[in-house]
This record gives sequence, structure tokens and C-alpha cells, in this order.
Amino acid sequence: MESLITAAARALEAGDPLGALNRVALRNDAPSLALRGIAMAQLGDLAKAKSLLRSAARAFGPREAVARARCIVAEAEIALVSRDLSWPVKALAAARATLDKHGDLANAAHAGHIEARRLLLLGRLDEAEHALAGLITSPLPAASQVVRELVGAGIAIRRLRTKDARAALDRAAHAVRLAGIPALAAEVEGANLVLDTPAARLIARGREHPLLLGEIEALATSKALVVDTFHHTIRRQGVVVSLGTRPVLFALARQLAQAWPADVSREALMAAAFHARHADESHRARLRVEIGRLRAKLRPLADVNATKQGFALTPRKTREVLVLARPVEEKHATVLALLCDGEPWSSSALALALRTSARTVQRALDELARSNKVQSFGHGRARRWMAPPVPGFPTGLLLPTPLLKT
Amino acid sequence: MKRSAAEIVREYGPFAGVEAVHGVTYDGRHVWFASGDKLNAVDPDDGKIARSIDVAAHAGTAFDGRHLFQIAEDRIQKIDAATGKVLGTIPSPGGGGDSGLAWAEGSLWVGQYRERKIHQVDPETGKVLRTIESKRFVTGVTWVDGELWHGTWENEESDLRRIDPETGKVLEQLDLPAGTGVSGLESDGGDRFFCGGGDRGNVRAVRRPRRS
Repeated sequence: MESLITAAARALEAGDPLGALNRVALRNDAPSLALRGIAMAQLGDLAKAKSLLRSAARAFGPREAVARARCIVAEAEIALVSRDLSWPVKALAAARATLDKHGDLANAAHAGHIEARRLLLLGRLDEAEHALAGLITSPLPAASQVVRELVGAGIAIRRLRTKDARAALDRAAHAVRLAGIPALAAEVEGANLVLDTPAARLIARGREHPLLLGEIEALATSKALVVDTFHHTIRRQGVVVSLGTRPVLFALARQLAQAWPADVSREALMAAAFHARHADESHRARLRVEIGRLRAKLRPLADVNATKQGFALTPRKTREVLVLARPVEEKHATVLALLCDGEPWSSSALALALRTSARTVQRALDELARSNKVQSFGHGRARRWMAPPVPGFPTGLLLPTPLLKT
Repeated sequence: MKRSAAEIVREYGPFAGVEAVHGVTYDGRHVWFASGDKLNAVDPDDGKIARSIDVAAHAGTAFDGRHLFQIAEDRIQKIDAATGKVLGTIPSPGGGGDSGLAWAEGSLWVGQYRERKIHQVDPETGKVLRTIESKRFVTGVTWVDGELWHGTWENEESDLRRIDPETGKVLEQLDLPAGTGVSGLESDGGDRFFCGGGDRGNVRAVRRPRRS
């Protein structure tokens, strides 16, 4: 519409944020603020970008509802990338409705993708899937198609549906070639890597080897007795015993399964289940009680027999016992798992995602920081935590380019 | 004030490689439109691009009979229509907030989008001779038969309006269908207006109401 705005927007689209800033650096009208915000986001200064976009949204007049809505969408995307998960989702939904109403379908879909990505990060898979299903699929710009497929792949990966994930990533790879955005291509590649990187360890007869996501999925139909440390269950095909609320029983079951067909000594069992270094008579009594409880729980799947040394597992209707474990087992593995998406997280966002208290997360982070497994930057409420980058699901910034046009 | 729905008689484009139309003018034979880094001449009969000039073209376009005037960033370029050579530049009155451009009566008329103003500018020096206030964001500007018309575009709503050049009062208004933007406006001197379609990348011909 306006000459310099057009010139700056063209510079941004051509991947030249500094050229865009040069043209509007000294202007404070609404479109200039929005352009500066997007340029700053592309340059990586997300805090500055956020405040500029917020000012732009305010500066657009009441007759410019579409431009204002686009600013809100861009701000939401910055919040998502900054892992600021407490961002008001209602404003995003309202902005999406405005864009829908005015026929800006591409940006409306972009807003919907941001919402779905937020739900995916929070682990609310059903809601994320539902949000995605409600969005139009075409005609969308290629970049939006990529994001859509990445979110779909992220959901499928979390659900252990490898085939669906691969199909979505294939479609994403196709669309990314049309979009021609290197950062987005890197995300698709990273997501593909997740499928080809061991996601678990399989322990059987005292030996272990890494498992890919697809192999974990295949275990669901295996005839073996599987002790699943991800879900704290013990299962054989459709028969599932959940010990999620019984950590002591689960620890015992796992020790027995790992040693199978050999037995496990009482001392080893007590050490694993009670963290008892020097077992005394009260520990022995407690072990007898807990084994009795485990025996009752496992009755449909296995028996627990006493041996000279201690106890051994005897599975029913199968001759195979497997333990499915995390690739790396350590304390605070869930915190690390989230941080491993390579993005900066606030401790409150981590607490929200893990459904635990901020204090618990803070303690875990402090411990992990002492052993150099995580790092932080910023101070006070702006402090963010990161782990060495590992491929994850959609994380990059893809601000809506039509934002620039009125 | 007379108000009616705009009658779109023809649409040109979209054109290959054109993302948006920023300014429109007419040289008596071709409709010229600005598309960011080019000025393109369209034959209004077959709708095809006959010629293009590589020049920065971010907003309004005008024609004085020999030269094309084209806004780029914060200046107005004077271009030899025959050779495509930039002969000179003057500063634009809106300092880059400029949108529409028209030629009439020896002056350039520049719409300043968000300021809702139209400036009359000396084409030699860029000096602002006078300023007319409008009520809405000004996009394209054109003069025809002593009438001053300009396009508006706010929140996906557009119209063409004839205003009193002295007072800025709206005398007549043609509403475009919802979601149809106007960027760039030019009269063909007869019963047609050519309007740029913004980021739809097209040009529309709208019928000019007949005088009784």
C-alpha cells in the first residue's frame, strides 16, 4: 500500500531483514512496527520482536482488524518458539476467527497450526489432533503444508504410529521442496532423524540393544511378556497390568524380567526396590510382603517363584521376556526429554508440560545444571533452559508473510 | 452523496511472476502497472503484458504524456516511457508513506495512505503545493474531466470515491465487493477506471458512471 512498506516487505520476503529495517527503522506507524517486529524475530531477538508486534497490534486502528489479527498470530508464534506456553490462547482463537471471516485463509490456518503445535508440546495429543483436523488443508501455501505435516508427524510419533509419521514426513518433504525455505527443510530432515534414531533399549536375557520407533511399535503385536518402563506396565498382547501407582512393585518386576530366565538375589531386589544398601531383617520382611503383592498382580501374566538365592519370574503362555527401557536412564529423564527439543524453555513451561510443580522442576534443573546436562540463559522470569539440540517436532519460526500486505 | 456498487467490467491477470500490483496508469494504449521491481504495460484488448521496464516500483504510477512517474521507497522517479531510462527523482511528500500517484494540470497528485491525504506536488522540485484531506486511507488517485477520484482500502473494504478537490468532501462513491482491494487507480479518459488489485496481483476495469 505504502511505498516504503512495500519496499521493506519485499526485502523481508527476500530474506534481507536488515534491508527491511533500514527502510522502516525510524518509523513508528503500525505497519512499520509490524515489519520491524518480524525483522527482529528473523534476526533472533524474540523479546524485542514480541514487544514491537504488540505495539503494532495496538497501533492498527479499529478498521484494520485483519492487520491486527496477523500481528497477534505472529506474536503467538514467537511465544510458542520461546516456549512461553502460558500465552493467552483466547486471543489467538479470536484472531483466527477474524482472519477466517475476512477470507485470509492461509493466515487463519497458520494460526490453527500454532495452536496445534502448542497442544502437541503440552502432550495434549487428542486436542492437537482435533485442532488439526478442523483446519482447511488446501489451498495452502507450501510452507503451511509443511508445518501441518510436521505437526501430524509429531502426533503420530508420540502415538507410536510410525507408518503415519513416515507418510506425513514424506508429504512434508515434498511440500518443503516447493516452499524452498532452508530452515523448514532442516526441520523436516530433523524430524526424519527422529524415526531413524534409537528411541528405546530392549533388554532380553541379560543383553540389550537399541530400538527404533518402528521396532517399538512392532512390539505391540509381539507374543512376549513386555515390561514397559515408559508406561510402567507389564503386558502380553492384550493383557496389561499397570503398575503406574506402584513403583516398588514395578521395580521388582523389572529386576526379575531383566534377569530372566535366571533368578535375582534378595539383596539385589532390596537394593533396587527399597534403595537399601545394608539390608536388615525388616527389609527382608518387607520384601516378602511386596513379592506377595506382585505375585497377586502378575497372576494373569506370570508367576514369581522363590529360589535358593531369591526369586525368579516364570511367564505364562510365552517363552520370551523383554524389558523396554529409555535409551538413557537417569534421574529427571522427563525434564531432559522435553529440553531435548533444542529450544529454550522456561521452568514454568516445563512444569506446565510435566504437570508438576515449578519447585520440583526447579530442583531437577538445578541438579541437571550441576552435572552440565542443561544450560540456562537470562535472569529472573526471562530465564530459559536448554539441552544440547536433538531433533524434535516443529519448533522453527515461520511468521506469516502476508502479514506485511494490507 | 451518490453511492452505488462498482460495476467491474473486466479483470486482467493474474500475471506470471506478479505477486502484487502497487500502482496503475494508462498511456492511451497500454495499462501500466507497478509490481515491485518492474513496470508492466498491458494491452487492455488482449490482456497480455506487452512490455516491461526493470525499475523499483513500490507504489503509485502516473503518466504525463511522455514520462512515467513511479514511486519507489521515499522518492518519485521520472522515467522516459520510450527508453525506460530514469531521468531524475524528486522526494515524495509522504516520505515513504506514499501510495497513489496521478498526473493532472501540470502537477503530480500523491495519495498518502495512512495520513488520509492527497498532496499536489510540483513535478520538477517535489514541493507540496497544497494538501487535500480525505476520510479514509488513500490508495490510488486519478483526475478525469475535472473530477478528482481516489481509491480507499481499509480492513478488506474498498471503494472509489469522487471528492471535492477544495474541501475533500465525498461527492460520489462506488463500493467494490467485500475483500476486493484497490491499489492504484487510473481513468482511461472515457468510461473506464483501471484499478490495481493489491496482493491479488490483478487489474480490474470498473465502469465510470455517466454524467446526465
